[in-house]
Amino acid sequence: MTPATASPQRPPSPWRDPVALLAVPAVIYFAVVYAYPLVWLLLKSFSSPTGFTVQPYIGFLSDPFNWRVIGNTLRVAAWVTLFCLIVGYPAAFALARAGAFVQIVMLVSIILPLSIGAVVKAFAWQIVLRRDGVVSQLMVGLGLWDEPQRLLFTETGLVLGAANIFLPFMILPIYSVVKLIDPRLSEAGATLGATPLYRFTHVTLPLTLPGVVSGIAFVFSMSVSMFVIPSLLVGDRFQTLSTLTGRSFLLMRNEQLGSTTAVVLLVLAVSIVVASTWLGRRLGGRT
Amino acid sequence: MSKTRAVTVNRRTLLAAAGAATAALAAPRILRAQGKEVVVGGAASHKNFVETVIAPVVEKKLGCKVVFEGTRSLVNLEKMQKNKDKQYLSVVMMDDPVMIPAVAEGLLEKLTAAKVPNLAMLKPGTVHMDGMWCNYLQPWLGIAYNPKALKAAPTSWADIYDPKYKGRIILPSLQNTEGLANLFMAAHLATGKPMAEAQKDVDAGFKKLVTIKPNLLTAYTQMPQAYNLLEQGEGFMISSAISQVALERKASGAPVDIAVPKEGIFAMPSGVALVKGGPQPELAAGFINEMIGPEVQAKLSAITFSLPTNKDTPVPAGMPTGVTIHGVDWQFVAANRADWVKRWDRDMAM
Repeated sequence: MTPATASPQRPPSPWRDPVALLAVPAVIYFAVVYAYPLVWLLLKSFSSPTGFTVQPYIGFLSDPFNWRVIGNTLRVAAWVTLFCLIVGYPAAFALARAGAFVQIVMLVSIILPLSIGAVVKAFAWQIVLRRDGVVSQLMVGLGLWDEPQRLLFTETGLVLGAANIFLPFMILPIYSVVKLIDPRLSEAGATLGATPLYRFTHVTLPLTLPGVVSGIAFVFSMSVSMFVIPSLLVGDRFQTLSTLTGRSFLLMRNEQLGSTTAVVLLVLAVSIVVASTWLGRRLGGRT
Repeated sequence: MSKTRAVTVNRRTLLAAAGAATAALAAPRILRAQGKEVVVGGAASHKNFVETVIAPVVEKKLGCKVVFEGTRSLVNLEKMQKNKDKQYLSVVMMDDPVMIPAVAEGLLEKLTAAKVPNLAMLKPGTVHMDGMWCNYLQPWLGIAYNPKALKAAPTSWADIYDPKYKGRIILPSLQNTEGLANLFMAAHLATGKPMAEAQKDVDAGFKKLVTIKPNLLTAYTQMPQAYNLLEQGEGFMISSAISQVALERKASGAPVDIAVPKEGIFAMPSGVALVKGGPQPELAAGFINEMIGPEVQAKLSAITFSLPTNKDTPVPAGMPTGVTIHGVDWQFVAANRADWVKRWDRDMAM
């Protein structure tokens, strides 16, 4: 095709497209309840009685304890995301390939638990994870543990509990992509002599990557900022950026520290989500 | 048919008119009552005893209506800050640590014996900062335990450090007011100094407190969770626990009891103060006067499982007597709390 045969009419600028007006209510809503407070938060974290300052950030980041807090936050979020991915990826396939009735049952059992608040679930996990809880009994019964152990108020317990709460946000985006994949693609690969592993890594995985990337983005950003779940499942002795932020505002009335930790959390979470999305796109594009 | 309907309508109209007339006659009385209204700010958990014990006495004696707004101490403080020029709260009930910033910001009006005669009947140490606020109750702190898990009640604050309770001890976070007792008691246990001195030696307190880490099940910020763990038998003791909460659980049949350790108990700060520039100042002072008067004190201490602050009021049955009650220097706490919480985070981390 030469430039001469291309349509002389350029598509209308997205700014002039009247369809864009449909987003106006949402834009106004987010500007008021999200963007404005966010800007206020940013300004607050950079302001002192004498004007602009970066001192709160220097102070925060020069304290080794706060690096431990950042480490706790990112490590737990990474484990939760990984756990959800390992459990959720095959589950999404089972869901997409199931018959109509089974699919409805599966969807309901994934979505219904979302209607139960995190507080209720965290209390339930407290029972499951305690010394004489189901997990401990199972591990002793299977001979994996010599004696009952308590997972409650440990990092492992937190990861298990949080993964349970966020799992649907990994399964659903992957499912929505998987159900669009034509199963015959993999069969076609098989007829051409590709091994199952080769077919998975070269056909299925690249096609599901967009779902995986959005699942990771959902779960990671929710678990990096969770507040109620860690405060109930691991307690006061394991600080994360969110619990530190909550305490600064609610208890110590230190808005400076609270806005600083909130901005640090926001920057970390956004950059990791953006980076993983970019990486996902690149990997997806290459194959 | 249509005639009947007309009659019915007429009768209804008549009834409605009569109702309206009654309402019109009653209106001035309602308006008068509305004019005499005392708005009291307090914690949500106070609502029950304010409305069932204090309000009936005050309303009968002073002929006014008591309106209670229950929230958290810090929210009450914010309400006063935001309405500094036009206060609508007359009386505020807050924990002592929150009273200190309220005094500093000039939000409270001094209580005097002229306005509140019953002030003279209060126990020593319950009127603070020259009368800026007083304590109307002393819920106390001891060690809550699960009698099913422990054969014998704990006898000392040192018991929680015993290695046989590995992973079984629940502490409040230092950000909870009741959590401070452990720090001060640890300092007392470590140094042997009297409590008034020991609570200034926080460094010694922290050094002792970190040795409890192997025994810690958790440090809670949400109290219901702590009782949940205790009642399920995962935790054996909550040190330190508020009498009011522990004994309410016990009364409702839960496997919970509270022990009075030999070193003594701590008095929790339940403060009440006049709001500076608040409406109805005389009624507000009258409310506080009744609150610390003998009639209300006897009923209040019994239903809240707390010690009365009026020295003429007998200590209700089941409450500890003849035991040392340690006070806390809340101004010292207010000045240092942020640093202590910071150190708690570092020293007590998993």
